[in-house]
Formats: sequence, C-alpha cells, structure tokens
Amino acid sequence: MSAAAPERPPRLYNLIAELTYRCPLGCPYCSNPVALGDFPEALAASAWVRVCREAAALGAVHVGLTGGEPTARRDLAEIVAGAAAAGLYTHLVTAGTPVGPDGLALLREAGLRSVQLSVQDAEAAASDALAGTACFDAKRALAGATRELGLPLTLNVVLHRHNLGRVRELVALARAWGAERLELANVQLHGWALRNRAALLPTRAQLREAAAVVEAERARGASPEIVFVLADYWSDRPKPCSGGWGRRQVVVTPDGRALPCHAAAELPLEFWRVTERSLGECWADAPGMNAFRGEAWMPEPCRSCPERGRDFGGCRCQAFALTGDAARTDPACRLAPDHERVREAREAAERDGTEADDAIAWVPRRVQP
Amino acid sequence: MSRTGLEARLSAILDERYHDRHPFNLRMHEGRLSREEIRTWVRNRYYYQTRIPIKDGLILGKAEDPEFRRSWIRRIHDHDDPRGGLERWLALARAVGLDAAEVASLRDVLPGVRRACDEYVEFVESHDLLESVAASLTELRAGGLMARRIAAFETHYPWVEREGLAYFESRTRQAPRDAEEGLAHVLEHARSEADAARCAAALERKCEILWALLDAVEWAGRRPRLAGRALLRDEPEPMVVLPERAVELNETGRHILGLCDGARGMAAIAREMRARHPDAESVERDSYAFLQAMEAVGVLES
Repeated sequence: MSAAAPERPPRLYNLIAELTYRCPLGCPYCSNPVALGDFPEALAASAWVRVCREAAALGAVHVGLTGGEPTARRDLAEIVAGAAAAGLYTHLVTAGTPVGPDGLALLREAGLRSVQLSVQDAEAAASDALAGTACFDAKRALAGATRELGLPLTLNVVLHRHNLGRVRELVALARAWGAERLELANVQLHGWALRNRAALLPTRAQLREAAAVVEAERARGASPEIVFVLADYWSDRPKPCSGGWGRRQVVVTPDGRALPCHAAAELPLEFWRVTERSLGECWADAPGMNAFRGEAWMPEPCRSCPERGRDFGGCRCQAFALTGDAARTDPACRLAPDHERVREAREAAERDGTEADDAIAWVPRRVQP
Repeated sequence: MSRTGLEARLSAILDERYHDRHPFNLRMHEGRLSREEIRTWVRNRYYYQTRIPIKDGLILGKAEDPEFRRSWIRRIHDHDDPRGGLERWLALARAVGLDAAEVASLRDVLPGVRRACDEYVEFVESHDLLESVAASLTELRAGGLMARRIAAFETHYPWVEREGLAYFESRTRQAPRDAEEGLAHVLEHARSEADAARCAAALERKCEILWALLDAVEWAGRRPRLAGRALLRDEPEPMVVLPERAVELNETGRHILGLCDGARGMAAIAREMRARHPDAESVERDSYAFLQAMEAVGVLES
C-alpha cells in the first residue's frame, strides 16, 4: 500500500472515554496530564452517549470507560447503557473504588461487558503506599464481584523500580483473583511519570529478571494470559505510538478534547472539542489530529527506516517532552539523534542502584493548587 | 537392562498410557456413545488406518536384514490387499451408516486427528529402526482391545451390521502375531541401557499419539456456543468483539458462528457447511480450523 495516500479519515476502532480526572488514588505515574485542573468535566452523560454513537458510526468497536476514576461519576450507568446501545463493547478501567460490588452489578445490568482493574503492587501495604490511600481491599472485593457477575477480568499493573521484583507474586495475585488477563506494563515516562522518573526508572538487571519470570510463568501454560509491555527506555526501540497517531483510537478528555492519545494535550497542537463539533469532524479534520498521520512528517532516520510502518517513529509526546519538538524521532530509539537523553537517564538509574530508593521521593498525582 | 526388565518396562508404559483407558474408549465399551460419535470415530480413525502401510513402508526402508523385511512386508499386505484392513474399515464405515467413498476421500478428517496420525509417520521417518519398531508395540494390547470391542458392539450397538466387525476380528488374530514379532526384535536389538530408554520413549510417544487422536474425536462432539464475553455484531461489518480484541469475520465465519447454538456438535456444524458449499474442496477442514481458532481466543465455549 502506498504510504503517500493514507485512508482518510482512518477507520476508528477504539474510543477511550476519560470521563473524569477525579480519582481517590495518587499514583506517581498517572497517565493523566500534570495540569489536571485545566480539564473540567464538561460533558453530561447524554453528551458522552452522543460521542459513543458518533464513534460507532466511525467504525469503533470498543469503548474504554476510564479516567481518572470513572466510577467517581454518578451517571456512569447511564453512559454504559448508551454506549452498549450504540453497539460498542463496553470496558471499564477502574482502580476498584468507589464503585463497590453493588455498583458493579448495576453497571453490568446497564450493559458493561468487561473490567480492567489496576493494582499497584502484589500486597496491600505496598499497593496502598503507592496509591497513597487504603484501597487494596476494595480492589480484592471488586475482583471477586467481577468474577461472580461473569465478567472477564484483566488485572493491570504499572511496573517500575519499586515493584519489578515482585512479578511472580503479581502473577499469583492475578490467579488468586481469577483474572484471565494480566497486563504488566512497564511505566511510560510521560507526564507525572516523567516528573518522577528518578524514582521510577528501573535498572537493566531488574527488567531482565522480570522478563525471565514472565517467560517462566507463561511456560506453565496456566491462565492468566500475560501481556508484558516493554520499557522503551531500555529496549533501544521506540514503542509504536498507540497503534499510530490518529490511526485507530481516539481519546476524549473530561473537557471534551479529542486526542490521539492520553498525553497529547500537552503538545502545542490544535485539537478540537466534541462539545463544539462532532467526533467525526474532530477525528478527521482537527489540525493536531492530522499533524502526524501518515509518514510525510517523518524526519530521518525514521523516513527511510524499515521499521517506520511498525513503530511509526515512536511516541510524539515523548519526543516533545525530551527535545521540545514533537516531530523529532523518539529519543527512545537507538538511532535517534537525541538518544543521549534516554541513555543519560538510564545511566543515572544504574548508578543510583536500588538500595537508596527510599531516599528518592516522588510527587503523588493530585490537582496542583 | 535385561530382556525381561525391558519387557516389564514396556508393559508398565502400556498399563499406564495405552488408549484403552481413554474416556472415549471407556464410553465406547460401556455402550454410552451416540451413533453420531461412533460415526465420527469411524470416519476419523480411517485416516490412521491409511497411515499404517505408509509407516510400515518407511520401516522396511530402514531394515538391512532381508529376513526382517520379508516378514514385516506382510503387514502392508494385511492392510492393502483386497479384503485387507483398509477395505474392512470401509465396510465398517458402511455398517455404521457412512458413505464409504466420502470416508475414503479423507476430506472430513479432524485437524487434531490428522496432526496425531501425521506425527506418527513423522516419528518413524525421523527415528531409527529400533525406535520405529518399539513405537509399534501398542499392538501388544490391540488384540485384547479388539476382543472387548467386538463384545461391546454386539451388546450395545446392535444397529451396526455384524459384517462391519470383520476388521476387529481380523485384528484379534493379526495384532498378537505382529506384536510378538515386534517385541522379539526390540528385545534382541536394545542392547544398552540407552537403547532401552529410547524404546521406552518411543512407546510413550506412540501412546500419546493414540490418546491425542481420541482427544480430537471427543472434541468433535463438543457443542460450542458463543461465550458470554463475546459480542457478535453485523454492522458495519460482521465482527466478533472480545475484551481488548476484535476479529473481523467473512461471510462463512459469520455463518459458522451463527450455527454455534450449544445444540449442534462440531462435526454437525462442519456437515452443515458441506451441505451449504458442496463444491468447496476443504470446507470441513476450514470449518474445524475456524472453530478451533475461535475456541482458542475465547469466542466459543462448550
């Protein structure tokens, strides 16, 4: 297929509905923007339902109902019902509170089809310490309720230098809680996580060991299916930008911005709002959405790289955060002119070792005063 | 290891792993198989029968001893001669109500059965004479199994015409003689502990293959239905959606999923697809492959 003539607009597959940035947890790697206060909740349930219908008309199959903590919204069941009626596969992404088993039962009745539950570590004290609030027991209860309701459960854990040594225990936890899928996602160093990079970035030895444990657990063949998302800082290869910029998914923020990914609001680009235009217009024609579609924007070494159809030049948000220019090659790539920035961070992580970790404070995610 | 030590070791493997203990065989002999299940087994087991002379031809090609070849070639005649094993199996197919030509076409062989039988041929291709002969020693138990089977058919499946059982009857005579020949060869030529271990491993492998064949036949009796997690949509195109993934369906795939109602078995679904596409060469194979793939990703449960 010719790269010069991409499908216009591309078929949408996935709507990520960030219903609110309110959240009782304060994880230091949160994927929400650092300027949380700039994203007021501007969409009523009826507006979200409209967005779901528009997404389905663009071809969307899944809707991820996320946040923040989506169950902080009292009108969530109404949104779920509307999304299900639009024909979307409704997927709740939750930290496990405040929804509770009864609330989950109502959501299922409204048309919820699957649940992704986050945990921060394999046991209560460490998980609660990272989340900044006691929530592990609520998570366990929600996992039980999910299974009882017959909904498929994915457990999601962000991996970093404080919990990478407990992959085996995390797999055991996923088994004990009846998850059929376990996502072990090495922390992506954007936004809050970039701010807390010194406290989060693991050592090479930690990653190797975790990867070996994952392989051993997979070899046992028992459930859950384990998805191990690599750490781009250590893999020498950039991660594909969410399946390609503006290519398969759209993120809608609480204030209605339609973005190609969670982090793109921080880029100096013009995105449009579903409060002002249809999702179809925001998806097809917003200048920001078209800024990095296709390959014409690519600099060298991406432009002539055989991997460009797979990794799409890596993450635009990471390029912007580390170089100030979103159009540069992702510095996570070994071939990037700015790879030095990533190498320096890696070297610092190695130099610090993991013994002195308690001395490295992190900033918990919260609305900045 | 002494000759008697090796013989005991091989016998212990058969005690533990021979497919007479497979749930499908147990149900067959207890009279608990439906006509449909009997037919599926007969249709599929024919593929195994067709592999046997090919396997024996490979064994002949490994043997340097003219006397061994002269004796072993009898097995090929037993299968391939007029009124030999293959013809008798097709007579069994007719006796259970199948179209012998359709069975002989092999087009409805289950993928798991095909895989298991092909693995046996590949094993013999890639192993030496001693191991190949050792793998054939499941015949040590075949005679007894055949006798039990004849009795079970006479008692429990009177709808199967009597002349269909001629294959089993011939094997009650052939299998003990063949097994004796194979065992004598193995005991004479397994000279070291390492040889004995190779023979034991070969027989274990063969037991696994026969077991896998019946696993696949049992699979064909499963009655799949759409899993609770799976969402089937027709607009804007046929697609089945799962957590974190979606599978686009062509018209045939969509039709097959529509047949997965928890009432039809896998084999029945493949037959409906054959009726719908009478001229498509590999419709059964394609249907089974699709059903297995849908099971593997969790679209179907049974």
